[in-house]
Amino acid sequence: MPCRSYRFTGLIRAALVAATLGVTPILRAEPPPAASAATNGLHWAFAPIRMPALPDGGAQRGGEGNPIDAFVQARLAKAGLHPAPEADRATLIRRLSFDLLGLPPGPSEVEEFVRDPDPRAYGRLVERLLASPHYGEQWGRHWLDVVRYTESQGFEYDRLRENAWHYRDYVIASLNRDIPYDRFMREQVAGDVLEPATRDGIVATSLLVCGPYDEAGNAQANATQRMITREEEMEDLLSVVGQSFLGVTLNCARCHSHKFDPIPIDDYYRMKSVFDGVKHGERPIATSAEIRDRESRLEGVRQRIAAGEAAIGAIESEAWKQAYARRDPGAAGDTTPPRPALEFRFDTPEKERPAGSLEGGAVVAGGRLLLTNSGAFFRSAPIPRELREKTLEAWVSLEGLSQGGGAAISLEAPGGQVFDAIVFGERQPRKWVAGSEGFARTRDLSAPEEIVPPGVPVHVVAVYGGGNRVTLYRNGVPYGESYQPGSPLQTYKAGEARVLLGMRHTGGGRPFLRGEILKASVFDRALSAAEVGSLFRSSGAHVSREALEAAMTPEGRRERERLGREVEGARAELGSMPPLPVSYAGVRRQPEPTRRLRRGDVKTPEDVMVPGALSVIRTPSPEFGLPADAPEGERRRRFADWLASPENPLPARVMMNRVWQFHFGQGLVATPNDLGRSGSAPTHPELLDWLAATFIRSGWSLKAMHRLIVTSAAYRQSSRFDSASAAADADNLLLWRYAPRRLEAEMLRDAMLSVSGELNPAVGGPSFRSFDVLTFPANAYVPRDKTGPEFNRRSVYRMNVNSGKEPLMDAFDCPDPAVKTPRRGVTITPLQALALMNNSFVQRQAERLAARAKSVGGEGMADGVSTAYRLALGRSPTPQESAAAQGVSRDRGLLPICWALLNSTEFLYIQ
Amino acid sequence: MNPSFDPTPVTRRRFLHSSTEGMGAIALAWMLARERAGASPASPSTPSRLPHYAPRAKRIVQIFCCGGVSHLDTFDPKPELDRMHGKTLEGKGENLGFFGQPGKLMRSPYEFRRHGQSGAWVSSLLPHLAGCVDDLCFIRSMVAKSNNHTPATFQMNSGYTMNGFPSMGAWLSYALGTENENLPTFVVLPDPRGMIAGGSINWTSGFLPANHQGVPFRTQSREPIGDLRTPDSIPLEARRADMEFLAGMNRGFAASHEGEPSFGARLRAYELAARMQVSIPEATDLESEPESIRALYGLDRESTRGFSRNCLMARRLLERGVRFVQIFNGGAFGSPRINWDGHENLKENHDTQAATMDQPVAALIQDLKQRGMLEDTLVVWATEFGRGPATQGIDSPGRDHHPTAFTCFLAGAGVRPGHTHGVTDEVGYFVAENPVTIYDFHATILHLLGIQHEKLTFYHNGINRRLTDVHGKVVSEILS
Repeated sequence: MPCRSYRFTGLIRAALVAATLGVTPILRAEPPPAASAATNGLHWAFAPIRMPALPDGGAQRGGEGNPIDAFVQARLAKAGLHPAPEADRATLIRRLSFDLLGLPPGPSEVEEFVRDPDPRAYGRLVERLLASPHYGEQWGRHWLDVVRYTESQGFEYDRLRENAWHYRDYVIASLNRDIPYDRFMREQVAGDVLEPATRDGIVATSLLVCGPYDEAGNAQANATQRMITREEEMEDLLSVVGQSFLGVTLNCARCHSHKFDPIPIDDYYRMKSVFDGVKHGERPIATSAEIRDRESRLEGVRQRIAAGEAAIGAIESEAWKQAYARRDPGAAGDTTPPRPALEFRFDTPEKERPAGSLEGGAVVAGGRLLLTNSGAFFRSAPIPRELREKTLEAWVSLEGLSQGGGAAISLEAPGGQVFDAIVFGERQPRKWVAGSEGFARTRDLSAPEEIVPPGVPVHVVAVYGGGNRVTLYRNGVPYGESYQPGSPLQTYKAGEARVLLGMRHTGGGRPFLRGEILKASVFDRALSAAEVGSLFRSSGAHVSREALEAAMTPEGRRERERLGREVEGARAELGSMPPLPVSYAGVRRQPEPTRRLRRGDVKTPEDVMVPGALSVIRTPSPEFGLPADAPEGERRRRFADWLASPENPLPARVMMNRVWQFHFGQGLVATPNDLGRSGSAPTHPELLDWLAATFIRSGWSLKAMHRLIVTSAAYRQSSRFDSASAAADADNLLLWRYAPRRLEAEMLRDAMLSVSGELNPAVGGPSFRSFDVLTFPANAYVPRDKTGPEFNRRSVYRMNVNSGKEPLMDAFDCPDPAVKTPRRGVTITPLQALALMNNSFVQRQAERLAARAKSVGGEGMADGVSTAYRLALGRSPTPQESAAAQGVSRDRGLLPICWALLNSTEFLYIQ
Repeated sequence: MNPSFDPTPVTRRRFLHSSTEGMGAIALAWMLARERAGASPASPSTPSRLPHYAPRAKRIVQIFCCGGVSHLDTFDPKPELDRMHGKTLEGKGENLGFFGQPGKLMRSPYEFRRHGQSGAWVSSLLPHLAGCVDDLCFIRSMVAKSNNHTPATFQMNSGYTMNGFPSMGAWLSYALGTENENLPTFVVLPDPRGMIAGGSINWTSGFLPANHQGVPFRTQSREPIGDLRTPDSIPLEARRADMEFLAGMNRGFAASHEGEPSFGARLRAYELAARMQVSIPEATDLESEPESIRALYGLDRESTRGFSRNCLMARRLLERGVRFVQIFNGGAFGSPRINWDGHENLKENHDTQAATMDQPVAALIQDLKQRGMLEDTLVVWATEFGRGPATQGIDSPGRDHHPTAFTCFLAGAGVRPGHTHGVTDEVGYFVAENPVTIYDFHATILHLLGIQHEKLTFYHNGINRRLTDVHGKVVSEILS
């Protein structure tokens, strides 16, 4: 990664913050404060936080003696500037409401607050808003921007992450409960290994993996490229930890020591060692005790099924022996083969065959499924039961060994976008492999090449077990090594999935197998190695169903039926124990010792590194004293301790700067993800330290800090423009006023829903999907303006996918979810205007607002106009405005007025 | 210069009289009224001191062929492959393919011939492009970082193999701004058969301001971008009155808030929006194109129908001052194949893809040339990587991905015509002479647009980011 000297130029900063279309703020670069004796020669951000004394002569205003104002006013006084007077109450409640909740106040709230003569009314308002569940939604959205939260994988397939939303809810709930920020940090890097273990802790670690994941790159055959893919993934992970919590661009040190900050390359690899055990994927939201408990209950039921099946097997195998003896006296089979949930045989009369269809010229003859044409396969009817843990089995004879890509048996979800299959010769010639979409659960195995000649059946089995373990068997013995894939065990829904024989999956390239299928089956559980062995031995030479039936005694048949009912009952019980809820919180594995890579190149590994933290921070110690092979959880736990230590100077400064930025539109440091030397210098260094120190003393309470900041006179001043002040400080860096801000995309959408009365205030749960998904097999998202209460939830609950942009949100600078966005851009474009003019969502909200204004305001036109204004803007129209609006609405009702209000600059800006 | 090429935006009044789109006419009337009212235009904000030096190219069109076009079967003939056909490839180190063990070396199913004055080699797959070789400059020594489609595609588009980095079009929009603010600066024309894998990630503005992202056009639709048309439920006269009312509101608000340039900018944005309601339908309306042009692009031929619309539309957009037009040939990965990813059967696949691409792209180059636009328009033809010399797997007629050698070509402004740069080894596996990385490729493109690639930077999260990361060298040999 490039790390070049960064010095602000007005130009670059302008582009960062500017509206386009001719708006070019001026920025005067401030020289970074020199490392001083006071900081022991360190760059300011790395020096310990000290609680600064309040400046002298900072006039205290607002009657509350807020220390923040002492700092702000001292700085203004030094520049010869004066703060603006306090904003009026209507402005204040609108500002505060948008700022804390992301929603406008209702007209009655405004009126009540404006009329309230009590000077403590503002304080009460602050408390009420901080207690609202919508607070967490608004401030959670900010945090989700910082940590690049997304609900799709990105890259080629961009698949949905159905279970990422738990993390979003965790963030919202944590903020609402005001859990201490040190704990918030600890949970997000190591929550799954903290004591006591909690569900929140497990979900919280989603931070590490909530960015893009290159599914194809991780599954491909080329080992070097796979390693590169993993290094890119780790850079994403380490940069999110470094930037979000520490405000340093740790990622610069992947290839070389940081050019400007004291971050040697070793620091990068020490921290890589901390997180090297974290991989993408889903995991159950359950503590290990809960998982053990559930497993033991499941095991009981599974044992009942196995015992029942064994007993059935004993009856059948006895019959089988007799039937077989009649056919071929020489052979003997196994006695207790497990019974499948579904069986596909082709040696029975046509009407008894499994439901399904012969496709592409597939033929049943001689008791076998013949797949001689390329393109031939069998497709079953939808499978009536849900399959999670499972075993696939097939007896197959191959037409030739140079073919590749076809499957003996495959289980696929509708459309083939998810499948598990036993595939021949796809990536490695002549080898069997557990095929899956995008190789998500596939691994090339160290197993011998297939040698069986044409016409000779071979028995292949794939077992997908608990703990997400995949094992292949050939002719009754394990084939290659068992493994845990990165992608979770798939659940195939009842009534949706189908079995394919001969074709790998719908929509695949080269998917067909040429040969014969003698028999195939699906088990709704993971068979043990012994069971697979028995399966192979028992069906080595199969006997027809009728012959088997005929060989049974009547008692045997009855007993078998009774056992069958028992097994069915146990299966139903198993089915009624739902799988544990899962979250995209990543999976863990004990990694190989981490090595430093010369210039970040996977081909030049160097020394083994031990886990550790930033070496520039001496207290708390960045040395963990752990060996290179320390348990991965222990590494993260130690890192969490280091990170959240009150002595660590970075996290409190970084977070207070973010909080300040979201309240004022700009931070005390303009580069919130970079407090290092290439970031910008703080405008109020003492204030930042005062906030950081106070934050820690408050017990890391964010709400306490919000309270302090929003009750300051600096926050409460009006946005009045003053040309003399602007001439001295065009960017309002010294806070001579409260600068107006445009609503962010989500706030804009939520504000429209709120004023139209359509907002569904439901908090939490799976995201709403305002798109259609086209799967080919990569996902493409087609935005759709869907209607109904589900889609009227707040925008933080919108499933924000990587490759599908929603025109309205996108036009208003909603960032690319893959980008770690500490601060959103603000542009003004014609596409924004088009979206507000014509977008069907805006149109609909305008209609609802008009209807609401009419029903609230009554039939009189002046009242309707006035109500619409109060709903949308929180104020009554002036007589001139009212007259103009009535002129328009005389012929056409309130709709055009409401449309204009939602398009108005006043609606879009917080003042 | 051909007199039919008018580099300035078509006049608004001409739209008023020629446009059949009622919505446009109404919006336009409103917009003209606004201009009379004296709203002052403001120039878009771009980094100053750009371009860094006199540009050779003012605008750029990129044709991106998704899936990985085989260099060995198009522009880089390998007689050695004919001799070695059916033998095992040895001595090249780790297999670079995506799908594991390769089979035997495979000769190209196409015949190669020299073409034009320059004598450039082109296979029988691309007869139309073969007719343009004297205008093209081939780079046979391209090298990509990844053998995996999407990271490689990201690299070709943004310089990085990861999500979230600004695409080249976004960088150019940021660097150079617009030549015609009535149209988007960076327009994307997806293949009508399907969206490229990753969709909008490929034209994201990443961390650049959002106004620099690509605007995808629905090229086969009467409404090329969403939210362009006034809703049917609103009579156009009524919309005109509403716009007037809104403008009054916003003007009053801006006037009462001194020192807020954004408020004025919003007024301006509505004017531009109204103009776009006219200019986008006009620019994308191919009905007015003469029969000779339709025939040139193959607009009425089955195999080229959809894609040729994109190429012709690209010319119209470039003509009207769009800075960067990106045309995708090919969609996402799946079956049946709708891109150049010829794993199973190279010939079958490339025959199908070339049938869509060859004639329209050749037509675009010829058309730009006959209008004099090739003088200051840069044409970039690219793909994410090439394909390997051996078959993919045993007894297969397909080829796997191949990142260490492939071919792209440039044409037009400032590019040495009829030239071939770079040499690959005897089987086209590695570059033998003059490797050109994607960074070099981007540095050269920026150079042609008057931009020094090291100096086009944007600060993001602690790093002064560049399109070319910390690499890149202008390939001076291919400049004219």
